[in-house]
Amino acid sequence: MKELDKFKEDWKSREGNYPKLDKDALYQLILKRSSSIVKWLFYISIAEFVFWTSISVLTHDNKTDQLIEQMHLSIFIKVLSVINYAVLIYFITLFYRNYKRVTFTASSKELIERILKVKRTVTQYVWFNLFILGISLLAGFFGLIHYGPESEKIFNMAAENGNSIGFWVLITVICLLFIGVILFFLWGFYRILYGILLKKLKNNHRELQRLEH
Amino acid sequence: MEKKLEHIFLTEFEQHQNIVHKICSLYTHDRASHHDLFQEVSIQLWKAFPKFRGDSKFSTWMYRVALNTAITQYRKNKKRTDTYDIENVLFKTQAYEAYDPKEEQQLSLMYAAIKELNDIDKALIFLYLEDKNYEEISMTLGISEVNARVKMNRIKKKLKKIIHP
Repeated sequence: MKELDKFKEDWKSREGNYPKLDKDALYQLILKRSSSIVKWLFYISIAEFVFWTSISVLTHDNKTDQLIEQMHLSIFIKVLSVINYAVLIYFITLFYRNYKRVTFTASSKELIERILKVKRTVTQYVWFNLFILGISLLAGFFGLIHYGPESEKIFNMAAENGNSIGFWVLITVICLLFIGVILFFLWGFYRILYGILLKKLKNNHRELQRLEH
Repeated sequence: MEKKLEHIFLTEFEQHQNIVHKICSLYTHDRASHHDLFQEVSIQLWKAFPKFRGDSKFSTWMYRVALNTAITQYRKNKKRTDTYDIENVLFKTQAYEAYDPKEEQQLSLMYAAIKELNDIDKALIFLYLEDKNYEEISMTLGISEVNARVKMNRIKKKLKKIIHP
């Protein structure tokens, strides 16, 4: 292509036209903090780990312990906590390993794939937490209905109603709907957050993948 | 030790900084974002430098880190093409012995067309402009040599279409 060759010639003739920074100026630059996508992903992930861990820590006090006891959920909650912390350790290890493997000296394709892998680890952790949250809410509802202070009233209502199956179906549907709405909002939040952050990266990854097929 | 490493790095960087400026001029649209990208590349280069083993040339290694930074850096997508570098950095056509406005216009058009390409296509064209062979292009981007060739032909066609609609 003639025009591109001409452009190449011109491109080469312009070597002297670029700004020239001396060592001091360059030194000042390398002291600054990085604003790379990897750094952002790292901060968000740390916030994620802290957020979900603090949720389980902060919601744990004597009052909730009593309530849990009352609802016959102590063992359930204990098992859940153990699983929770084991999984947290697993994810942090995995996240750190993936994060460390991100290097800008790899090929572009490899680099993008590794960055996306870091993000995937965090997303999986978030989904795991949402799943646990869903299960806990479900168990909470169940405990509240069966053993809560209002439980007798609820059972009486069901009996008076005549259609007790319909009544329980309705209660279940309301519970599921409630949990569904919470999960949906959190899902939406993550979609937007990562959507904005990773749009360009994903486009470039798609482009590189398309080349190979 | 750190000071010595720093000195070696800064000497090499000073000498080869044009590579980074050229990438910034292709991947950004105004002076501020040129500076931002230049800064980020500098940081990434310095961070990666301890692992630079010298089994390739410093400049070759620099192409890779700098392009990778440009391709992965999060930035607001501004489509508007600022003409700052067309006026200030590029197309100093006084250097031409025979000044030809038509030719200048074509160069300008080509520059604008290249800047409109997506990040990956731009990387390929950049490496082509820098006289890199297909082996190096394929290694830098992580695609096969055959695909790099095919892609390059497609980009050339694309550019031709933009210039001669």
